[in-house]
Amino acid sequence: MYDPKAIIDLIAANVRKTRNPFGAPSSLLNRWWRDIPLRREGDAMLFTGLMYQSVPYIEQTTKRLARLEDSFWARYVGLGRYVPSFLVCLGFRLMATDREKRKFDSMVRDIHKILVKSNVDFFYRPELDYYSGILLHDLGDEEGFARHASFVAKTLKAKGIEKLITVDPHTTYAMKVLYPKVTGESFQVKTYFELSKVTANDGSKRVTLHDPCFYGRYLELSDAPRRVIDNLGIGHVPVRSSGVFTSCCGGPAESVSPRLTAEVLHRRVEELKATGAPVVAMCPICLGNLLRAGVQAEDLSTLVARYA
Amino acid sequence: MALVYPQFAEELKRCGVETTLECFNRGTCAAICPLIDEHFPRKMIRYAQVGARDKILANARDLWRCLHCGLCTQTCPRGANPGELILGLRRLALKHWRRQSHV
Ligand code: SF4
Repeated sequence: MYDPKAIIDLIAANVRKTRNPFGAPSSLLNRWWRDIPLRREGDAMLFTGLMYQSVPYIEQTTKRLARLEDSFWARYVGLGRYVPSFLVCLGFRLMATDREKRKFDSMVRDIHKILVKSNVDFFYRPELDYYSGILLHDLGDEEGFARHASFVAKTLKAKGIEKLITVDPHTTYAMKVLYPKVTGESFQVKTYFELSKVTANDGSKRVTLHDPCFYGRYLELSDAPRRVIDNLGIGHVPVRSSGVFTSCCGGPAESVSPRLTAEVLHRRVEELKATGAPVVAMCPICLGNLLRAGVQAEDLSTLVARYA
Repeated sequence: MALVYPQFAEELKRCGVETTLECFNRGTCAAICPLIDEHFPRKMIRYAQVGARDKILANARDLWRCLHCGLCTQTCPRGANPGELILGLRRLALKHWRRQSHV
């Protein structure tokens, strides 16, 4: 296990410097929209919180941290403030492959497509699409989180933004529940799948939904994605733990102990595999973990966009 | 031997924890927790209740094993919010470490 303080200090310094956990300009990270005609005005802003776009970088860093965690060098990783710092920066600049970046970017593009096809009155301004800061909250740096969240909330409010359309559970929880508490500013927050009106009649397909902890439990939002699947005519194969009792994929431990993540993930994978159906995920961290574990999985956005 | 701080629950309030004394040690949290590890988070909660601040700080790294998955909070029969208590203890430990590194 890595030294939590070293990791938190690194992430906090990066968020202060660049407003994202990687210490590199967000404009390098956020490129999914470049060849899409965007509306810059509308009723609600699409707010990705940069989570999907970050996963290729997080995965590469984690892979290398994992290799070190079990190695002879682990003992020196109490020295660890240098190792994670080195890997996080390197991960950002060199390690994420174009293929991985395109894969996760395409999910955000699919979300954009679903919203367009559903006639949602929305807009996107890449320069206002900030990382929410959620990792600082999760890791215990509440002051760092509150500082960053206040900056984001103030910037959005100054532009007159009141309604947000979110795409992942962590950002949704941050904007819906944590921001009002720590910044005093509230937004009307909806996930893209609550707004989806895509319909089809694909009676031949059956899938298993993996509820992420934040949608299933914290936000009690597991009915909405099931409705989306119903509207496509697709059947559900229930998994042993779901909804408010869903099982964690282990993702949140990734930055301090990739080994622990692997243990928890293994148990969830067994539950999901027992259904025999392909898995649909709704969180980029869950999806990345499930794919890495060899599960046949895709993101809800990919599935729905195929019918849009 | 451990030193105990009777005012510890008050200190934790400043870290956002309002439920330190709610727990009656039923152990549901340790049974449901995916970490399956030495009575986590129950042991930490017990330390917090009796004010064993030093014990918590000595074992603080373990707090970051918590996945923040919320299963313990969902199933706690007392509404003692164990997951948020662990998060509050992280805040406490981080503050402590940061103070130390400024000395
Ligand atoms: S929130 Fe943490 S302590 Fe509670 S069940 Fe999940 S991993 Fe265990």
